[in-house]
Amino acid sequence: MIDFSSPRHRAKFGYLLLAPAVIMMALIIIYPILLSVDISLQDVRIARVGGDREPWTLENYRWLTSSAEFWNSLWVTAKMVLTVGGISLIIGLATALLVNQKFRGRSLARLFVALPWAVPEVVATVIWAWMLDSSFGVINWALLKIGLVDQAIQFGSNSTAAFFAVCFVMIWKGYPLVSIMLLAGLQSIPEEQYQAARVDGANVWQRFFYITLPSLAPVLGVTSVMTTLWVFRDFAIIYVLTQGGPIGSTTTLSILTFEQSFAFFRMGQGAAVGVVTLVICAFISRALVGRFANSVH
Amino acid sequence: MQKRSYLGTFGIYATVIFTCAVLLFPIYWMILTALSPRTQLREFPPRFWPDDPQWGVFADLLATQPFGLWMWNTILVAVATMVLSLTVGVLAAYALSRHRLRGGQGLGLFILTSKMLPATLLVIPLFAIFKSLGLVGSLWSVVIAQSTLIVPFATWMLKGYFDTIPPELEHAALVDGCSPLGALVRVVLPVAAPGLAATALYAFVISWSDFLYARTFLTTSESKWTLNVGIATLKGEFVTDWNTIMAASLMAAVPIIGVYLFLERYLVGGLSSGSDK
Repeated sequence: MIDFSSPRHRAKFGYLLLAPAVIMMALIIIYPILLSVDISLQDVRIARVGGDREPWTLENYRWLTSSAEFWNSLWVTAKMVLTVGGISLIIGLATALLVNQKFRGRSLARLFVALPWAVPEVVATVIWAWMLDSSFGVINWALLKIGLVDQAIQFGSNSTAAFFAVCFVMIWKGYPLVSIMLLAGLQSIPEEQYQAARVDGANVWQRFFYITLPSLAPVLGVTSVMTTLWVFRDFAIIYVLTQGGPIGSTTTLSILTFEQSFAFFRMGQGAAVGVVTLVICAFISRALVGRFANSVH
Repeated sequence: MQKRSYLGTFGIYATVIFTCAVLLFPIYWMILTALSPRTQLREFPPRFWPDDPQWGVFADLLATQPFGLWMWNTILVAVATMVLSLTVGVLAAYALSRHRLRGGQGLGLFILTSKMLPATLLVIPLFAIFKSLGLVGSLWSVVIAQSTLIVPFATWMLKGYFDTIPPELEHAALVDGCSPLGALVRVVLPVAAPGLAATALYAFVISWSDFLYARTFLTTSESKWTLNVGIATLKGEFVTDWNTIMAASLMAAVPIIGVYLFLERYLVGGLSSGSDK
């Protein structure tokens, strides 16, 4: 029996505590990632572990570069990241500034503003699917009423409308977290800076551009990277709302990966798309990790 | 803080009320639709107030759909994931927080980056592994798959809480002859109880929201469906029965919204680390 309380064995105790987590992550994260690279290098339809295996080939990656579907989904993902990320950041910042004001009922307002974050993605999506319904949806009714459109928008069959429908749901679901993070950032700016600026005669806009924005820059950076990765990863919202359609207009890389693997059962190709997505995400999050790494230790 | 004019105060309240109204409208619409008589949903203009709330919709839901089963499966998965990730997470987080271990920093970074893994990629090898283990169609497949996200997350969150607890606390216990594990269980964990509760509830929320894994691994075995798979399937049916779907959605969302109302101060508080005081 080792006496873990003696200083000599303290480190051993630490490693012992760490062991379950390390073993688990090796088994359920690292091994599967290596396996997915392996699958992407094989010409397989339904991947298996053990048994016969196909020889390694670059066939799936060759398919990828010459496939219109892949380039389309890359383009759709980029458009979606910019739309969802841009709008979430702008209204998130506006909301954070609003609920950072001092007024009675502020905590209740903060509670309400972040509430969509707590609605499960599938639930959020079916609510919006109903509101966007082309025959009886409340949104089409409102648009017709105020005369913005003269006939109901077919969110199911019009490519542009379907794309923006997906973006709406993502923004509604994802932007509360953006505003919470930005609010936390705002609260960490010392009040003295604003007071000093006020004494020097700076107006509201000057205070915003010379104090708020620069102090918020790191949080804005982290938040936008997080939103980007979230759009890259998201599956439920797109799949339940449009299944990637119509004609691929909402097929992101994530949806293409799933579709190739579990609708067409071409897991080799699906895994190749997934591996490319992983590499892109890794590059994007380098910015995030770099920032966090400084604050880790 | 200078005094704000009456006009300014009015402006703030007007904006706050407008923002909340727009944001909360979909939730209101879900409740309203669930309670509306079926025929009213096909009327233009839509009604904005439930004149004739149909409370029977929830009984209908239980009678016509295996809703109770979906709910039960979802609870089983969420509780199992929560217990698993909290157990593994507490041990690892405590080690990372208290011991300066070789490779500890690397592990910390790994935990952070695991959040960026595209889940649709991970689902392919996991499917192959579960297929060979005969786990496809079992709730365990979903528990294990969700742990890929939740274990790193719980570990990271718990490390943050342990970092705020002074190590002198366990040192005193160790001097008094307590074993290191005893010090963790009897001294540190009770102090970290709010953090444990917050992490557990987060794990619960993430698990409850999962759709991808349940959709992939459980689709062919209807008796194992979770709420999200069930609701998504109802939505995909040819004739969409919106008030049943909204009733199911409402019941699926209520537990999570309840948890959120409890968690909210940790959510903001944890991120801003008390600078609001």
